[in-house]
Amino acid sequence: MHWHTKRKHPWKHYALWFILPSFVFYTAFVILPTVGSSYYSLTSWDGISSNIRFIGLENFREIWSSSRVHNAFYNTLLLAVVLVVLENIVALALAMIVDQVRWLSKLFRSIFYLPVLMSGIVMGFIWVILLNYNFGVVNQLLDLIGLSAWKRDWLGDPDFAMISIILSTVWKSAGYYMVIYLAGLQGIPKELLEAASIDGAGSWQRFRHVTFPLLAGAMTVCIILSMINALKIFDQIAVMTDGGPGFETETLTYIIYKVAFGELRQGFGTALGIVLFLIILIVSVIQVRVLRGREVEM
Amino acid sequence: MAKRNVLRVLSLLVAVSLVLAACGGGNSTKSESKTNNSAAGSETSDSGSNEQAEQPKEVSFTIGFATGDPATKQAIEDTIDAFSKAYPHIKVVNVSDSAAAASYLDWLKTKDAVGEFPDLVEMRDTKVFVDAGKLAELPEDLHGLFASLPQYNGKYYNAPITGTAPIGIIYSKKAYADAGITELPETYDEFLAIQEKLQQSGISPIVVGGKDIWHMGFWVNFFLINEIYAQDPDWNSKRNNGQVSFTDENVVRAISDYKELFRKYVDKGWLSTADNQTASFLVTGKAAQLYSGPWMFTQIQEADPNFEFGFYAIPEREGDVNIVGLPTLAGWAFSAEAARDPDKLEAMKTFIRFFFDPENYREYLKKVSGIPTTAADASYEAGEQMKEVFRLMADPNVTKSLMINNWYGENAIPPQFRNWFYKHLQELVATDGDVATYMKKADEQYDNDLKANQQ
Repeated sequence: MHWHTKRKHPWKHYALWFILPSFVFYTAFVILPTVGSSYYSLTSWDGISSNIRFIGLENFREIWSSSRVHNAFYNTLLLAVVLVVLENIVALALAMIVDQVRWLSKLFRSIFYLPVLMSGIVMGFIWVILLNYNFGVVNQLLDLIGLSAWKRDWLGDPDFAMISIILSTVWKSAGYYMVIYLAGLQGIPKELLEAASIDGAGSWQRFRHVTFPLLAGAMTVCIILSMINALKIFDQIAVMTDGGPGFETETLTYIIYKVAFGELRQGFGTALGIVLFLIILIVSVIQVRVLRGREVEM
Repeated sequence: MAKRNVLRVLSLLVAVSLVLAACGGGNSTKSESKTNNSAAGSETSDSGSNEQAEQPKEVSFTIGFATGDPATKQAIEDTIDAFSKAYPHIKVVNVSDSAAAASYLDWLKTKDAVGEFPDLVEMRDTKVFVDAGKLAELPEDLHGLFASLPQYNGKYYNAPITGTAPIGIIYSKKAYADAGITELPETYDEFLAIQEKLQQSGISPIVVGGKDIWHMGFWVNFFLINEIYAQDPDWNSKRNNGQVSFTDENVVRAISDYKELFRKYVDKGWLSTADNQTASFLVTGKAAQLYSGPWMFTQIQEADPNFEFGFYAIPEREGDVNIVGLPTLAGWAFSAEAARDPDKLEAMKTFIRFFFDPENYREYLKKVSGIPTTAADASYEAGEQMKEVFRLMADPNVTKSLMINNWYGENAIPPQFRNWFYKHLQELVATDGDVATYMKKADEQYDNDLKANQQ
């Protein structure tokens, strides 16, 4: 008893020392700029001049009434919902396949995870080349197999630009969530699945009543992470479409960048940033509450 | 106990060194240049007076310029290299990177935000940066280098790098010959007839680098200049005062013509084609024409030295020719902060004199197919295409104008409007939208931007 108490006490101090650098960084580069941003969101600062004029809530009034912002908000929501659903379905499917594969499972795991390691910018450039109307592999393949009528300007056609962004993002990110699901799958006791088989449950029933509920924890993490990442999506849009064609793929994050840096409206961009932050916060809190409720405790 | 103290001290050192390592990285270039300067200073002060006279003081300055056009980028870098050889004591640090290609204003703003605004900078948004106090006036002893200098609020801020170059059709002679086109058009309707012939011959008539938003300006402003600015150079000022509108008949006609051309004759993949791909479209025969400026001549020649191409300005419906050609508020500019350092200022002035020295400037102009701006003669042996450019600029019957965003003074538009407008017009073509409706939205956006800039 005395040894146990004596062992816990000395380590408390060292833990603080090691947390300190991260805490200092986080305060200096996240907390302070965020708090500072709240002030700039109430100004008409252009981001360059030293003259910063206070304009109250004008920026927020403009956000409320701007059709461009509404369009960006709609695109952001659409991306978020579709990406969360697709990424998690694909990731879960990949995890289940990799979990079942007996040979070379580590190779497959690596292959599916490889796109995650690629930077979003590099990935964007690769997809720009693949999807190019004249030189791209996709259209050249369609020519080769006699489906020239299906050729599109995948990144320039308003009907397909968003789909192209979604598919390339799922391709890049699914591997990340696959690893989390795989860990969850491998944590499910085999005896439960065997017992379900013995009781006559088919594969779908085993998945529905055993695997799926026990994956709730992994699912909560994956859905929250994929939602946050989807709401913040930037690299692919910057490289692949520049928010276009027109404003077809412009999202809240992208409009913040364009407005704040390209249009000399740092104050307005900051106000948009605060709105996005609140949206992410609210959505995450709701998600955690809903998803935690369905988690099954082992 | 001793072991515990050692661990405590080690932990503290690790924590402090991590914090310092993160803070120290961004200042390395500044500290290096300070070290260079202070080292130079101490060398100078330690040497005897004879050595001081012989060894000029070492100084460095940063230079920033747009890297979107490969020919211009290379030409400037060549000039910097030549300058460094001629003046080894002046170190020119080129801070331009690939990020300065896509949206130069974005890049400059980012540089400014991180405290790395270039000392000598290619300036295209002079008004904005002057109003923000970021630019110094062009030193008076440099004024005489130039034939004319653009003014802002009665002062000079820019050393114009090249004269405003006209935009015109760069066409493949082979594609024209294959389509049976033997005469260049004398009216816009004849130009449209040529597009029809090219299309029927099986080639994409026009390639457009729509992925780069600034490329849109070439075609958009062709129509705007013909219908608006050629007749009324003060249209922007009137729009600022609400006297004219984007829904006026002439503007709607201009944009309708733009939409018709893009829907019928522009290569289908235009929205995902970058400007730097357009030269290869021409030389590989994927498209017959490119609407761009003389800076493309070098790119095309380098892509295929055997490719035969011509250049002409498209006439408007009545046969008149209107081109981009008036001087703009653009060119090399001195950052206000750098100009406060006498050594840097002198070094930058030396660079400007070197850059615009006829012998060096001629080389630069040849590489970028540029129009000289100097008072001294810097003319050069020009190819067939460039001779046509010079002919257009010298022809008094050709009206010279500016792109929508290049007007200044009372005619300046909100700087954020240009990119929005070009994207709006991309959407108009991509969605086959109604021109009148889109122009109504343009009016709303313009008014919003005006209001935002007045706040």
